[in-house]
Amino acid sequence: MSPEPQDQGRPAHVTTWPVGLGILACVGGAVAFAVSFFVDASNAWLGGSLALAFLGLGLALAFWGRDLADDEVITGRYPVPPDDLEGQAKLATQLDEHASVITRRSFLSKALIFGVAVFALSQVVLLGALGPWPGDSLTTTGWRKGRRLVTEDGQPIDSKTALATGGFIVAFPEGGEDKANSQVVLLHFVNGDFVPQQGRESWSPDDFVAYSRVCTHAGCPVAEYLDEAQKLVCPCHQSEFDLLHGAKVIGGPASRPLPQLPLAVDAQGYLVAQSDFTEDVGPGFWYAS
Amino acid sequence: MTKNRDHDLEHSLGKSFGARKSPLRPAARWLDTNLGGSGLLRDELRHIFPDSWAFFLGEIALYCFIILVATGIFLALFFQASDAQVIYTGSYAPLHGTEMSVAYDSVVSLSIDVRAGLLVRQIHHWAALVFVAALVIHMIRMFVTAAYRRPRRINWLLGVSLLLLVGMNGLFGYSLPDDLLSGTGLRIAFSITESIPFVGPALATLLFGGDFPSQGLIARVYPVHIFLLPAVIGGLLGAHLGLLWLQRHTQFPGPRRSDRVIVGTPMVPAYALRTTGYLLIVGGVCTAFAAFIQINPVWLYGPYRPWDATTAAQPDWYMGWLEGAVRMMPGWDIQIGGLLIPAIFWPAVILPGLIFTPLFLVPWIDWATTREGAFHNVLMLPGQHPVRVAIAAGFITFLTVLLVAGGNDVFAFVYGLSQPHLLVVLQYLTVLLPPVVALLTYVLLRGRARRWATTVR
Repeated sequence: MSPEPQDQGRPAHVTTWPVGLGILACVGGAVAFAVSFFVDASNAWLGGSLALAFLGLGLALAFWGRDLADDEVITGRYPVPPDDLEGQAKLATQLDEHASVITRRSFLSKALIFGVAVFALSQVVLLGALGPWPGDSLTTTGWRKGRRLVTEDGQPIDSKTALATGGFIVAFPEGGEDKANSQVVLLHFVNGDFVPQQGRESWSPDDFVAYSRVCTHAGCPVAEYLDEAQKLVCPCHQSEFDLLHGAKVIGGPASRPLPQLPLAVDAQGYLVAQSDFTEDVGPGFWYAS
Repeated sequence: MTKNRDHDLEHSLGKSFGARKSPLRPAARWLDTNLGGSGLLRDELRHIFPDSWAFFLGEIALYCFIILVATGIFLALFFQASDAQVIYTGSYAPLHGTEMSVAYDSVVSLSIDVRAGLLVRQIHHWAALVFVAALVIHMIRMFVTAAYRRPRRINWLLGVSLLLLVGMNGLFGYSLPDDLLSGTGLRIAFSITESIPFVGPALATLLFGGDFPSQGLIARVYPVHIFLLPAVIGGLLGAHLGLLWLQRHTQFPGPRRSDRVIVGTPMVPAYALRTTGYLLIVGGVCTAFAAFIQINPVWLYGPYRPWDATTAAQPDWYMGWLEGAVRMMPGWDIQIGGLLIPAIFWPAVILPGLIFTPLFLVPWIDWATTREGAFHNVLMLPGQHPVRVAIAAGFITFLTVLLVAGGNDVFAFVYGLSQPHLLVVLQYLTVLLPPVVALLTYVLLRGRARRWATTVR
């Protein structure tokens, strides 16, 4: 590449104009950035000028370096693997002589390893400080016998007036306990549309049906309600649940239906839960029912 | 005698060897008299770097890390890692009166009210996306040129670990703003952890500090994102570069080059100038992205509330393959007695293990199949070894199909397709396309490899 010996090692082939132009762009960009900052210009001005400064200086250096690289190609040697047998032998002798002072005490060195291992293992208990054990938090929600269903702003839901047939609403247990895992979608079906699953005939008074709104796949709220198809779709991974037939899975990656909350109407005519869910809500875990 | 020699040295120190004395001389002198380091400097100034555009890929990744640390420090001055609830009163009118966490409030105010705050936040996010992309392409380059062979097996391990940790830290990063998307991502992460047989539920509540959504989760993720993982990543990067420095960089085959002789440009002046330029160019490109392409506008998403959801929710691109796998896996729960293994366990826990375990083992798999364990400093050309390129092509195809499936709802919407049907097509492609692409690559390259072998001899 380099044809002639350079004068005093000084590179001869640096092209001035790209480097100069780059430095000029850098100065322009830097000044524009400072001005943009003080006049509180838009993100595009602020970022555009800063990018110009970076790119100008960067290109200047890269061009300069490229020209220098073309001028000077040198050779050297890779560090080789230790084929130096003499050195290897020396190291081996040193290890034998000095390190073996410890390893020779076979009982003590084994005891030392054992002690260190026990000490290290004992520190694992600190992980227990990170959080509580699951307890019953995965298997219970905020629903209890007789607890009212309320809207997001805490209004109880009157079975006579609150929800027209064909409508749906998101409901929570009164008192707001464990709102995330207790959220249900409450549907008021047109009479005769909804066919209760076997054993759940008494769970849907006046054709009100409540399903857990926590997807059984990955736990997102099953938020998309398609009223014509009477199905719920999860916006995260597109699992589909058939609302007319026990929220069974009819599409997507979910495998278990959305649990149904047994409903009743209390003496004042408000919707209440008969009990907690009879199955575990949300995504699966090894002891889930 | 000695006196004479000293005199000569004094004389040469006063003399200039180039056209003029380097202005750095006093600095070197100072270093030597205070730290005694100029001997090392003397040797390393002429450290040789072989030259190829392909060697720039790892540098892009390194420079993204530097940009991330710099912008991250700025962001840390404003971000407040608290899930205490406040009512928004800032200057972004659509959110007025909305209840939100202090964390989300601080990110909105950083983006809307702090001058240059949005720019720095967007540079940070873009640099993270470019970082992982650079790591992936860098790794592909390593693989197809067999750069992972002795003496660089350990450095391959460090590299794969870096990819894993950087991806994880990216996930933690976009979980912090506590907007609707980030909360949804954390919810899914909890569900995935929960799915592991026997240890899952306990592991999930330990790591998250309780059942989801747990109190103090943001405050817990924050030190992991800004301290723990960056420290580990920085340490591994240091070891990665330290080994590179000690072993010298690999080189492509060429005249005079061999496993013992290295040909390239010296660190000073050429390489140092170029690589500093590259750092600034990477910074400039990330800044240009941040200036003109909006990313993660959290103020539009609203705060995370566990009963709110958004359609077209996507993770950052490097998590897309996992998202796609989770979407495509059929709901095949396994029930053994009272034990449930939820279907999500396979794509979200087992699949990443199946991908990363062989990745870590690449140097040893290569060694076991070729029975060749010599030291190599000269790279192979991809065309020299069609099988390796075919494996890479199949693997990349597999991950690309998963990535596309991660956005299947968006693709279905944009191209007017039926989402469930598109999903089935993608499920078939996941299984069929990778072997087809691998085979095609092999057949195409085999002829070239044979020609290459005959011309070289």
